[in-house]
Amino acid sequence: MDTLIEFSYVVVFAIVAIVFTIAPVVISRLIAPRTIGEKTFTTYECGIKPFGSAWTRHTVVYYIYALIFIAFDVDILYLFPAALGYTRQGNTYEFYTLLVFVLLLVLAIIYAWGKGVFTWKRKNLL
Amino acid sequence: MGKGGLHLETKESIIKEPIIKLAIAEKFLNLARANSIWPMTFGLACCAIEMMAGAMARFDIARFGAEVFRPSPRQADLMIVNGTVTKKMAPTVVTLYEQMPSPKWVIVMGNCAISGGPFAFKGQYNIIEGIDKLIPVDVYVPGCPPRPEGLLEGLMKLEEKITGTRRFPVPEQRW
Repeated sequence: MDTLIEFSYVVVFAIVAIVFTIAPVVISRLIAPRTIGEKTFTTYECGIKPFGSAWTRHTVVYYIYALIFIAFDVDILYLFPAALGYTRQGNTYEFYTLLVFVLLLVLAIIYAWGKGVFTWKRKNLL
Repeated sequence: MGKGGLHLETKESIIKEPIIKLAIAEKFLNLARANSIWPMTFGLACCAIEMMAGAMARFDIARFGAEVFRPSPRQADLMIVNGTVTKKMAPTVVTLYEQMPSPKWVIVMGNCAISGGPFAFKGQYNIIEGIDKLIPVDVYVPGCPPRPEGLLEGLMKLEEKITGTRRFPVPEQRW
């Protein structure tokens, strides 16, 4: 029963929250006059006529950059369990294991480095 | 002009009255609207400098409840057209006016926007001689440029127009 009473607070709070969010919208609908012109619902609010499409092409350099980001991201993903498993007991075996593991992860970055991904040069791949 | 998709005059096709319209409620609402006018951040020429001075500490438009200059037309209810409206700028002004939610008001500040001002001469080709040819105007504030006090007086006139009563006394003339 106590749990039920405690949950009723949540229900009351949720109802009040919903009413407080919906009421201003409804009140504004009821009491505000409305004028809809030719350009009332244009997307931008700068007054300039929109032109072109938002679906523009980007250079392929961005794509390689995104891939490298994923490489770093996965590195972090693997480093979390490694950091959690590390016991800090002064165990040399454990230390060298971790070192080798990190070096293996670093290899991916060195590979990308060697391929010249970090130099921002526009490649004629389009 | 006219051809080439230039949108030069407001064509507000749909004007909806509020669903609930009671005289007393309208009175209160108008009082609220008049005492908290949100102008749009919008300057076309040198009159805008006077508007900025009006918003700053010395003249302080905040005393009259109109200091919340909104950068978006969708949040503003007052458009202060201050400065020369060129034919290139006119469609933009009209679009911004149409994007403002109703109820909305327009104060025209300065001779250029009222009638073309010094630019209205024979053979001129690029100035709109009076913004009231494009959008409905509520208050005209003449001057070249009008002093910030002029804008404040225009604001009070607008409040008078909205509520029907003047909120502040007319200042005593001392000269």
